Amino acid sequence: MKARRGKAWSKIAALALAILMTLPAMAAMAQESKAEKQQMFLDGARLWPVYCSQCHNARPGSEFSPAQWDAIMMHMRTQSNMPAKDARAIKEYLKGGL
Amino acid sequence: MARGARTGIGLILTAVVVTVVMGIAVAAPVTTAADDSTAQGRELKVMRRELKRLEADRARESKVIEQLEQKIDKIEAQDNQLRATNQHLESTNQQLQGKTDEQIKQLQAQVEEGPSQSQLAKALRGYWGSTQFTLTGGAAADFIYDRKAGQNTFAVNFNPIMLYRLNDWLLFEGSFAASFSPGSSGASFSSAVDTAQIFLNDYMELDLGIFDQPFGDWLEVQGPLWVNRFITAPLPFGVESLVPPGDIGMQLRGGFQWGELGQDADYTTWVANGPSYDSALPQPVIGQTLNGVTNITTNTNGKAYGGRFRVYPFPLDSKLGRLELGASTYNGKWQNGLWLNAWDVDFAYHWKNLQTRGEYLEAYRQMPQGSGADNRQGWYFQAGYFLTGLRLPFLSRDLNSYLSRLEPLVRYSGVNQRAVVAEEISTIPALGFNGSPSVFAPHAREVALGIDYWIAPAIVWQTEVDLELPRAGGTLFSFNGASTPTASRIGATPNDRAILTQFAVGF
Repeated sequence: MKARRGKAWSKIAALALAILMTLPAMAAMAQESKAEKQQMFLDGARLWPVYCSQCHNARPGSEFSPAQWDAIMMHMRTQSNMPAKDARAIKEYLKGGL
Repeated sequence: MARGARTGIGLILTAVVVTVVMGIAVAAPVTTAADDSTAQGRELKVMRRELKRLEADRARESKVIEQLEQKIDKIEAQDNQLRATNQHLESTNQQLQGKTDEQIKQLQAQVEEGPSQSQLAKALRGYWGSTQFTLTGGAAADFIYDRKAGQNTFAVNFNPIMLYRLNDWLLFEGSFAASFSPGSSGASFSSAVDTAQIFLNDYMELDLGIFDQPFGDWLEVQGPLWVNRFITAPLPFGVESLVPPGDIGMQLRGGFQWGELGQDADYTTWVANGPSYDSALPQPVIGQTLNGVTNITTNTNGKAYGGRFRVYPFPLDSKLGRLELGASTYNGKWQNGLWLNAWDVDFAYHWKNLQTRGEYLEAYRQMPQGSGADNRQGWYFQAGYFLTGLRLPFLSRDLNSYLSRLEPLVRYSGVNQRAVVAEEISTIPALGFNGSPSVFAPHAREVALGIDYWIAPAIVWQTEVDLELPRAGGTLFSFNGASTPTASRIGATPNDRAILTQFAVGF
């Protein structure tokens, strides 16, 4: 019984360690160059109508400010589980390349 | 020029002296030369002295003249230098004036044009700071009529979502639902979702808090008032939901691209407090309804856990639309040693003006000794088609414009369960529920017909007609104040009709 409990805790510790190891990645989230941003904008223009419309009508970028899109697209990435790079591309498009 | 003049004056003076001397010499009479030689000698001496004095004067004046000439030369040189400097300054001044005029013109043009969007964004970021508080969500006003319950009523729902973005990897989301339902004198509130969302990297996210159940597709995605194409929920996720619609716990989730652009997959795993059932009943019974969220008062020593995996097979460039295929599991103890196990398969497909989605799910609830299993099945399928682009030649342009904003809808949903509990049957309409008692039949079936009029992408006027077509069979448990229920067979249950209309806004 004790051995089983110990195994469970070691699994939890391993999971916690794995999560902690990803923390530096959070701090080092990349800042895209101008050329990368332009490409993201183009990808976002293609992804926006398809990805958003799968659950609801795609809302135009003019409905929210660029800063609001920063928060809303984090929320939408969670809701849809879309790949992070696609979420960034759609955000770039909705923000109008700002 | 001045120097030459002064040299000329010297020559004239010399000539005058020589002429005087020569004149005196020529004019002296020869006869008296001897007598006057002494006098002449004196005069000659005087003249010589005078001549010397004049020469000395001349030499001194020449020197003065030379000094003056040098001074004049120096002054002339300085003058020339000053002229040159002046010319240079004038030239520089003109150049500066030209440049200044040009810069003023540029500044005026910039002022008239205003700052660019990127400049403004940068300035505002600097002014407001990096954190961001965003209010979004939805609200709706409803009118509901149900024939069998014999009631018609207005209802209001307000469901704001508050997002607080701390930085690129941390978001707090809080929402509540305030409903002003019939039969109550005030608003009833519930906290639908409150989570901290921590984006660990591009493929993994940790969510902590109260969340919509990541089971199937509808519970998590189709809840918002303006997102749901219908006003009500499909039967498996309505008032007799087969799994808890929300839970308190933690999730690990993420998505990734496995092929071309659009070919994605995503996963969600979670652990939470798990299910609990209506605690107002004296004892557990088959058909008992689930609580929405099991709060911190847990009734088991174990937790619930589950997972969901979804795949999107079509590349974006294939023009085949967006297809989602998913499978989910739910395993949680509702009492020590007694589990609620459930699974679900779902699909969603969107192609041009067509959108469809559907799910099939089964739930198995282990019951205490002496009671049979509490098994349930549920399903729904819905389809809608935007009339965007439709132009009927016999209608005016304005009427065609209205027509193109419509989206006709149809949905078929059903639930099978062995029994229902009389004390839990409600005919009070609520969010997602039309108030029909037929929904509580053990074999509920519903055909919903809808028409949505889209005023804007997130503003819609929805109208729905529900045809409740329950099948016969099943058991009705009734406590009637006793500690043990009495069971009675349910025969044919009458059909019912309900009409709902709703104005919903997403903000």
